[in-house]
Amino acid sequence: MKQKGRTLLFSIVFLVLGFLLSFSYSITKEQFSNDDQGGQSINRFNSKKENARQELLQTQQENLDLQEELFQLLDSVREYERTISDNDDASGLAVEADQYRLILGKVAVEGPGVAITLADGEYDPAIENINDYLVHEHHLFHVINELYIAGAEGIAINGQRIARDTYIICNGPVITVDNIQLPAPFTITAIGDYEVMSSALTITGGVRDQLVNDSINFTMEKKELIRMAPVIRDL
Amino acid sequence: MWLPVLALIVGIFLGLFTELSIPEEYSNYLSIAVLAALDTLFGGIRAYLQGVYDDSVFISGFFFNIVLAISLAFLGVHLGVDLYLAAIFAFGVRLFQNIAVIRRLLLVQWNEKKKNAI
Repeated sequence: MKQKGRTLLFSIVFLVLGFLLSFSYSITKEQFSNDDQGGQSINRFNSKKENARQELLQTQQENLDLQEELFQLLDSVREYERTISDNDDASGLAVEADQYRLILGKVAVEGPGVAITLADGEYDPAIENINDYLVHEHHLFHVINELYIAGAEGIAINGQRIARDTYIICNGPVITVDNIQLPAPFTITAIGDYEVMSSALTITGGVRDQLVNDSINFTMEKKELIRMAPVIRDL
Repeated sequence: MWLPVLALIVGIFLGLFTELSIPEEYSNYLSIAVLAALDTLFGGIRAYLQGVYDDSVFISGFFFNIVLAISLAFLGVHLGVDLYLAAIFAFGVRLFQNIAVIRRLLLVQWNEKKKNAI
């Protein structure tokens, strides 16, 4: 009787022991395989991301190429319009279309105008906040708006053409124009009547005075010929 | 005598094929329970070889050590002290000591047997 009880107790002990050993073994194995799966999924995710990025770059390049082609075709269209307008009474329409394209920045333009350079002010230890002498987006807005009011026909910042739906954002030390980062100093070129634009900017209490008040170096020069490429960007 | 072996095999199969899964933070408790069980087992074998084996001591020690180790680890987690390390250390050291004693006892027995044979 005693022997039987002993065997039963031993059986319970060994049952528990076996269970504990194999259970912890299977748990550990499970955790390892889980870790593996995690690593694999991260790898898969990374390669997917890389593929998507490549695809995006390729598409962007394609878009740019197609845009170049579009501009060339547009030039041939304009050529065609010119030949019609020579011997037709639709010449007014052709000129009008050309003007609209100019405003939209769809065609390359060239002509006399003005170049305005906005540079960050000198480093001054007395001014604690460096923002007080950096060129900000609103400075550019002021100049651009004033130029448009003064009859500018085309405006570009550091060669990046400003179109109807261009956006300009301040992004730390650089300014982003249509997703292209431009560093200071910013040269704003505008095609139009130099006399009108320069007097509009330099009027007393006008844009130039405001910018100089903000410790920005403002220089303006007359340009005999400014060439502007059409707006090329990913839409 | 075959019942304990059968129970061991049944236990192993139960552990392998049970669909139970525990959160990762509880795997510490499991490892401590395993260590406690092994420690008691080897302690029992040593006691048997030394001739001081007692059923009630072995069986109560087996379960009591497991429960104590787990509760110590539980307390440690809630107090922010890694008390389970103490349990692992104590059981680990004792495990090695027990195994060393078992080895010596077996060697002595084997040598005596050889002498008797000669």
